[in-house]
Amino acid sequence: MTHRAPGPPVSRRDLLQRLGSGFGTIAAASMLSDPTHAGRPQIDVGPSLLSPKLPHFAPKAKHVIQLFMPGGPSQVDTFDYKPLIEKHAGERPSAVDRKTLRNTKNGLFPSPFGFKQYGQSGKWVSDIFPRTAQCVDDICFVHSMHTDIPEHAGAMLMFNLGHLQPSRPSLGSWLCYGLGTENQELPGFVAMSPRAQPRGKAANWGNSFLPGAYSGVYANIASMKPDQILRDLKNPHLPRAEQRQQAELLAQLNRLDLKRQQQDQQLESSIQAMEMAFKMQFAVPDAFNTESETKTTLELYGKSEFAKGCLLARRLVERGVRMVQLSHSIDGYDIAWDTGHGDIKGGHARLAQACDQGIAALLQDLKQRGLLDETLVIWGGEFGRAPTSEGQKGRDHDHYGFTVWMAGGGVKPGFTHGATDEFGCSAVKDRVHVHDLHATILHLMGLDHERLTYRYSGRDFRLTDVHGNVVHDIIA
Amino acid sequence: MCPSTHPEDYAEARVVNQTWLCNSLAWLIATALWGGSARANEGQELEFFESKIRPLLVNHCYECHSETSTKLAAGLRLDSRAAILRGGDSGSAVVVGKPNESLLIQSVRYESNEMPPNQKLDAASIAALEQWVEWGAPWPAEESPDSMTPEVGYDWPELQQHWSWQPVTRPILPTVSGTALIKNPIDQFVASRLAENALRQPPPAATATLVRRSFIDLIGIPPSPTELSRWVTAIDATPTKRDMQFGQMIDELLERPQYGERWGRHWLDVARYSDTGGWTQDNRPHPFAWRYRDWVVAAFNADMPYDQFVTNQIAGDQVDTESAIGTGFFALGPSYSSDGGDPESVAQAKSETLDDRVDTFSRAFLGLTVACARCHDHKFDPIPTQDYYSIAGIFNNSRETETPLADVEIQKTYHAHQGKIRAAQDKVNQLQKIPKDQKREPTDQEKAEIKSWQEKTTELKATAPAKYDFAHTIHDAGSNDMKIALRGNLLKSGEVAPRRFLRIVEGQTRNHFQQGSGRTQLAKAVVDPSNPLTARVMVNRIWMNHFGEALVRTPSNFGILGEPPSHPKLLDWLAVEFVESGWSIKSMHRTIMNSATYQTSSDFDQEAFESDGDNRLLWRMQPRRMDVETWRDSLLAVTGELDTTLGGPAIDRIVDSQRRTLYAKVSRNEPKGSDEFLRLFDFPIPRASAAKRTSNVLPQQFLFMMNSPFMIKRAKALSELLQRKEATDAARVNLAYSLLYGRAPTVQEHEISKQFFTTQPVSNESLDRWQQYCQVMLSANEFMYIR
Repeated sequence: MTHRAPGPPVSRRDLLQRLGSGFGTIAAASMLSDPTHAGRPQIDVGPSLLSPKLPHFAPKAKHVIQLFMPGGPSQVDTFDYKPLIEKHAGERPSAVDRKTLRNTKNGLFPSPFGFKQYGQSGKWVSDIFPRTAQCVDDICFVHSMHTDIPEHAGAMLMFNLGHLQPSRPSLGSWLCYGLGTENQELPGFVAMSPRAQPRGKAANWGNSFLPGAYSGVYANIASMKPDQILRDLKNPHLPRAEQRQQAELLAQLNRLDLKRQQQDQQLESSIQAMEMAFKMQFAVPDAFNTESETKTTLELYGKSEFAKGCLLARRLVERGVRMVQLSHSIDGYDIAWDTGHGDIKGGHARLAQACDQGIAALLQDLKQRGLLDETLVIWGGEFGRAPTSEGQKGRDHDHYGFTVWMAGGGVKPGFTHGATDEFGCSAVKDRVHVHDLHATILHLMGLDHERLTYRYSGRDFRLTDVHGNVVHDIIA
Repeated sequence: MCPSTHPEDYAEARVVNQTWLCNSLAWLIATALWGGSARANEGQELEFFESKIRPLLVNHCYECHSETSTKLAAGLRLDSRAAILRGGDSGSAVVVGKPNESLLIQSVRYESNEMPPNQKLDAASIAALEQWVEWGAPWPAEESPDSMTPEVGYDWPELQQHWSWQPVTRPILPTVSGTALIKNPIDQFVASRLAENALRQPPPAATATLVRRSFIDLIGIPPSPTELSRWVTAIDATPTKRDMQFGQMIDELLERPQYGERWGRHWLDVARYSDTGGWTQDNRPHPFAWRYRDWVVAAFNADMPYDQFVTNQIAGDQVDTESAIGTGFFALGPSYSSDGGDPESVAQAKSETLDDRVDTFSRAFLGLTVACARCHDHKFDPIPTQDYYSIAGIFNNSRETETPLADVEIQKTYHAHQGKIRAAQDKVNQLQKIPKDQKREPTDQEKAEIKSWQEKTTELKATAPAKYDFAHTIHDAGSNDMKIALRGNLLKSGEVAPRRFLRIVEGQTRNHFQQGSGRTQLAKAVVDPSNPLTARVMVNRIWMNHFGEALVRTPSNFGILGEPPSHPKLLDWLAVEFVESGWSIKSMHRTIMNSATYQTSSDFDQEAFESDGDNRLLWRMQPRRMDVETWRDSLLAVTGELDTTLGGPAIDRIVDSQRRTLYAKVSRNEPKGSDEFLRLFDFPIPRASAAKRTSNVLPQQFLFMMNSPFMIKRAKALSELLQRKEATDAARVNLAYSLLYGRAPTVQEHEISKQFFTTQPVSNESLDRWQQYCQVMLSANEFMYIR
């Protein structure tokens, strides 16, 4: 295990500018000059809980945007092209004779969508993702994902916290614990969704036993108001100048108290935290307000709620937020892609249409702003759907094989890793469990998943529990 | 679920292989049962194994799948039959007699995993493995490297030496120099440790500070100016009666019902108390959880002996109805379920629920992390997996139930009415069924009849009496031992784990608990005077809530990885006193608070700080930030708004209420009305037992102070009170300092306030200058800290 300090993830100047004049400056400055700080992240007292911390080794990415697709999008109708299904339609070869939740007895069911090849990489993509398809040369597809169970809630928690029950911290919380965040005036981890929260709700972005500072802050895209993203963000009575005087008075009294107490780190922290809170009142609404975006940008993203989430995600990572989790939902459904049971054609087409433009815009926008290199974008659901039919036109859950794709943040562009069997049912080549995905994400962020531990209730916990292998093959 | 990141700590737990006897016995029984046709005889099979199978496994698999592998892959070992059957992370490697269903065979055929990864075995080798599996995977009796077999892997006598598993004995009091201030033996222990480390004994706190500290400590709200001056005067009046007067104040505070509200809440942290069940969607609310909360508060107020308090929470259902409420400790725990009925998920949910019971039981009462032994023997403490399932088995025979708390008559009336509703509903269904069965539309007469019964149903529902009160309790539902779940998977059973207590506490010869679930016997074992943990763990918790830090700074982990006590003899002395006082918690408060150690000043001392920055030796009283309950209650108390009603149903949005914070409805998952506020100030998410509160300063806390309607209401109330009671600004400022901080303002502070009042407002704000000032005073650190 090496404790060598690599180059800092952000330049010192960059960092100091972003932090403003608050406590973060002091904490970060002293940390950057301290070469011994590169080991396991330590919990500091007070507001420096979220101060930037150096990773274990040089990171490929600094931010994560997770485009979470609750309900389980079907791999063979989106990105995992399996022409052989058509040929064997109605048959039930042994490869697909696997038990899933409903143990469907029906045969292979061809995708109702056409597929075309795109880009230099010649990747086959379903017609329901025409715009995302234009970005395939930036995307790294993992077709060999698999997970533990075919039930939504448990599998969603597995995907977001690496455990089947809601009793562990989420990926974003672990990232904030391990790395802090770059902008102390914004939360380190933001979760968003249009209307419905994904099933399991706050557990998907919860801190569990990690300190509360690492919890995701949730914003509902449909109903949010920029000045209400955080509770009590706006003062209902006083204009800014007046409030400044009040804040000064409090700072004055607290400084007197500190002087009497002579030495107290927590009291010092609190004076700085108060100053930070004052600034948050203005920084947070600004980050969540898209009005200042150019017409071109707004047109690029389009008008859907999901696209608005994508645009906000870009604004947030641009301002230093560590992780954004954007969950898809239409019609207020908490497992949106589960409409695949009854009707793949109608259900999946509508869902894809609601997110395709936003996804493509996000990738393009990040790229043209030079942010894609340092931002890892992850697309996928908690599991996939079987290539056989359930009922007439739908598909049941499939946890043996599904697709997740990533872009930017140090993954190989225009690359495909792993494969399902010839019908797209089970991951057979270079299998990647969700734990492996988590290990890889942490690795890309400069963290060793076996060293990022938190002692709680007598044991050292990890995001990957006792599992996980980094998938080095997909790292650029 | 514990990554073994400290292999060096594990070095002590040597694996001793004495298991061949058990293994070969199991093998003989198993072979007898398989029987089967076309079988070679045993000798031939074993010969086949030695000539064909073992070399194959050694050459192709052991690099990654044996005891000698540098890194074990997929948790799978193929070097003993038991290990093969137990399997790895993907499950059992072999289904005996069924090659097609065996992961090992699928893998070598390259059907699922592709093993060995570099090159597929030749067809003959694969065929040999298939044959071997079909025969039942015969393996010769031998010493097998098998760490799953319980109770052989630990060096018991060595581990038994760990301090917390040693018997508690009354320690000899240390001698201290004549100049030290000694009020009771606590001071001797503390002063001698300070002297050993060349640190001065700290001076006593100012009386006003001490009175405020004591009030907040015991009842969770600061003294009013009248109370403060009364006690300061009384205590300072005659030096010889000082201690007696202070003791009298403690006695009076312990008699207030607010004491139970404050100290009951400390216990509720340990009990991970919540008003909801808490799987993914908090979908099983516990409407009468508050009955348990009130039971805890009442127990503290009545000074229920701690052994009885523990017994009632483990097995109160076997005492009487009132005591049964105590079993809410378990009944209100998170109960997990599966949303689809997939067998893996169902088993996982059940095992997670049992994990909660074992984890909370062992950490709360014993300071042991038994749940670490769910999937494998505990890596640090001598707790074999079998011990985990011995305890889990007890809870596996206990079911959650509702214990009615209303008169029988009220219950009868309720059930009778519910019966009427059901009958009317049935009638509707019957009437609707007739035309449906006959595949015709209902006649007008039928329609009218259906409508009339529907109306009757609606009316009955509207007039139904509310469900009578009940408590969430547990009761016995069986008396069976569990089997060890291999690697924590309930679908894979190992050997039986008889229900009994932990070997590290009770020794090798243990009683088999067979009375019902075994909970009564379990409770007896916990409070048995020879148990070295129970009293130590509780006095340590009590100490922590007086001093901010405990003597053992890992209050729920007294195991090898826990921290050793800073004052081991003091801890034992307290534990002995505790048991001898009849497990009286109130008596423990008196002992602690009447010591000079409790009454010392919190003043900073640079020299002491440099040598003991963590204040482990108690060179001062550690200043503490209030927990969220105390802070909010104190805010309401000083503005004269606190509603002191005791007990009752939980309150949805505590920030809109004036009741004590204890009564907030808390949930495990979705932060609802009260949770968001509570968690902002470090209220622990009640998913697991919380050993101690953290105290983090967050910017968002100041958003609450600056902008929340709650703070603005308090500011207005305080301002109104000051205006009403005093005529001049200066007098109002004096009163504010006295109410909030228990002291008079300095000249400088008067100046600061004057300046604030005379600054011209920038605009027409809706909060006047006095209200703004009050809000600041209430938000200040001096108010929030206990010193």
